[in-house]
Amino acid sequence: MAGEETGEFCGNCDSHNCYQYPAKVFCSTRYWQHLDPIVDTLWHCSSYNRVSQECYCVREAKKKAAASAQS
Amino acid sequence: MERKDYLKEPVKHIKINGTLTVDQLMQQYNNSGSFGAGRLATACDIYEKMLRDKDCTVFLALSGAVVPAGMRTIIVDLIRNHLVDVIVSTGACMVHDAIEAVGGHHYKGGWQVNDAELYKYHLFRIYDIFVPEEDYVRLDFVFSEMYADIARERKGEGLASDEFTREIGKRLTDENSILRAAYEENVPIFLPSVRDSEFGFIHWLHASQKDQKNVLLVDAFKDVPTICGICSKSPKNGMIVIGGGVPRNTIQSSALASKKGLDYGIVITLDRPETGGLSGSTLEETVSWGKMKGSAGHVMVIGEALMVFPFIVASATERLGKDFKRVSFLQRIKLAEKGN
Repeated sequence: MAGEETGEFCGNCDSHNCYQYPAKVFCSTRYWQHLDPIVDTLWHCSSYNRVSQECYCVREAKKKAAASAQS
Repeated sequence: MERKDYLKEPVKHIKINGTLTVDQLMQQYNNSGSFGAGRLATACDIYEKMLRDKDCTVFLALSGAVVPAGMRTIIVDLIRNHLVDVIVSTGACMVHDAIEAVGGHHYKGGWQVNDAELYKYHLFRIYDIFVPEEDYVRLDFVFSEMYADIARERKGEGLASDEFTREIGKRLTDENSILRAAYEENVPIFLPSVRDSEFGFIHWLHASQKDQKNVLLVDAFKDVPTICGICSKSPKNGMIVIGGGVPRNTIQSSALASKKGLDYGIVITLDRPETGGLSGSTLEETVSWGKMKGSAGHVMVIGEALMVFPFIVASATERLGKDFKRVSFLQRIKLAEKGN
């Protein structure tokens, strides 16, 4: 279920938009600060701000990360 | 009118022989002359007349999901073959074109789907078409940088919306793009409601960057003298409307403001006139404003544009033949200006 992934991940932050589903997100906050806006879904920074993201990004990114760790 | 005037032409029955071309089918529709088929056949006739009329400038109004549904190439071919002269579009139609120009796609989907799940997968639905969010985001990123580049070049000078689309078309490399084709063929694309689309939100992304010194300025008021000037210079003006809304109103109002009135009009819509809104208003209502001449050849095709518009284009171009080369009035003016 979406919303169960409560960790501090870019994929849970309200600045995130899909860039390469599910592994990469586009962070508008970083873009505005002239920082590289393309970041890993499972990363997070000091501006992390979880407000209302109800999506499968983190769940799917974790699955993908686990699958690539196994292979 | 006398009684006999109402009974001039009997309905001829549609005959299908199994090897009909599109135009032959339209001729059969013309034989019937009734209901939607009659209107569609009339639209083909009017478009053919517009194209054969050397003095007519052809305006195309685009609204709705023209590109996602698969009509991008039709529009590009019309531009490249000089079968439209001016495009007035919603911002969204050109956003859809731009999405594909930077590598995105629209996908065949369905309308009976779990939309809450689509939301969680970052997928957007346009009736039965799906668009991944990342295709929009890629556009945002690429175009925000493009906006900055245009703003640097223009140094604070405001662009009319046709200049804005031209600058974008210049920077795109996709030959299958409407924006690119229009740039290459010198067909202006006006976006009177440019802000009401992803182009507006891209502007927010671009303008909100820290210490942004050059913010792109698009001034839609600058469009008015340009588009009215086109109407005014052209001996005749015709419009084809897909949908309605702001693009239709822009063309009609420009025809009125330039004191010309439209000479031809085709509107393809599913909207109704009873609301008083423009999209469903009849072309007879348009005549009452002086936006269309009373004598103008006009028809309103009540139908969904993806079904209707390809028939009109296919039929008209079949009639014109492969050797037909149209040099529009606007092209002739430009050639004359160059000669001077």
